Amino acid sequence: MKVETHKIARLHAILWGIFSLGGMIAAFLLPVLLYLTAIAYPFNLWPFNGARDPSFLITGHRLGALFIFVTIAGSLFHGIFRFQSALTEVGLIKYRRALEAVGYFIISVGIIALAYYLATWYLNGTIS
Amino acid sequence: MGDNKRYPELRRRVSPGWWTASRHYAMYMVREWTSLFVALYSLIFIYGLSLWAMGSRADFLNFLKNPAIIGFSLVALVFTLYHAVTWFYLLGAIAPVKIGRSRTKPWQALILNLVLLVIVSYIAIWLLIFR
Repeated sequence: MKVETHKIARLHAILWGIFSLGGMIAAFLLPVLLYLTAIAYPFNLWPFNGARDPSFLITGHRLGALFIFVTIAGSLFHGIFRFQSALTEVGLIKYRRALEAVGYFIISVGIIALAYYLATWYLNGTIS
Repeated sequence: MGDNKRYPELRRRVSPGWWTASRHYAMYMVREWTSLFVALYSLIFIYGLSLWAMGSRADFLNFLKNPAIIGFSLVALVFTLYHAVTWFYLLGAIAPVKIGRSRTKPWQALILNLVLLVIVSYIAIWLLIFR
């Protein structure tokens, strides 16, 4: 029982560590991605100015694909983890297990889909 | 099981609207709920990539130009910046740096990290678009 408790405590520490890392990623990298996709591209502003488009972020080179993966996966984990925690604080504490299950399912599906698309484009040469 | 009996978990019962009792609690809850926009934008972006994967690059680009997506993304940008500001302030509050006899204040960490955010954003654009 004691070993199991330690395992759970370690898993909690790892999950909170990823949550914190995701918070840093969402704070430092997500604003620039949002600016590029929601303002610069649709409104034809710097740095696109009609020349390149956001698809270049992904296919331009491997670093761009890595940037997309880290930013989106980190933000998704942080966002879902924090939101499910916030829901338990507004009266849904008795559904904590179900909220965690749904949250981790969404995180897993999202990250697997993201990795699959990027890996497929890398392997078929779409990402140069 | 024995451990659970010796150390029972005690939870203070509070109403679902406890956070409306003070401005401080309300701002805390607003900060927590900004995460919903961070998560939704990430999911929307992945959905956009799926349109590209199952259709064409133009589908992805048209999706980004959809007025509803632009509108949501602008709101998400505001909440993401709010998340960044509160996160940077929190960093300064929980991990102050000791310099000589004094410790750094949270607002100093906030300013330093905001400057870093601008630098990181510029470097990201330079590396990913112009290189």
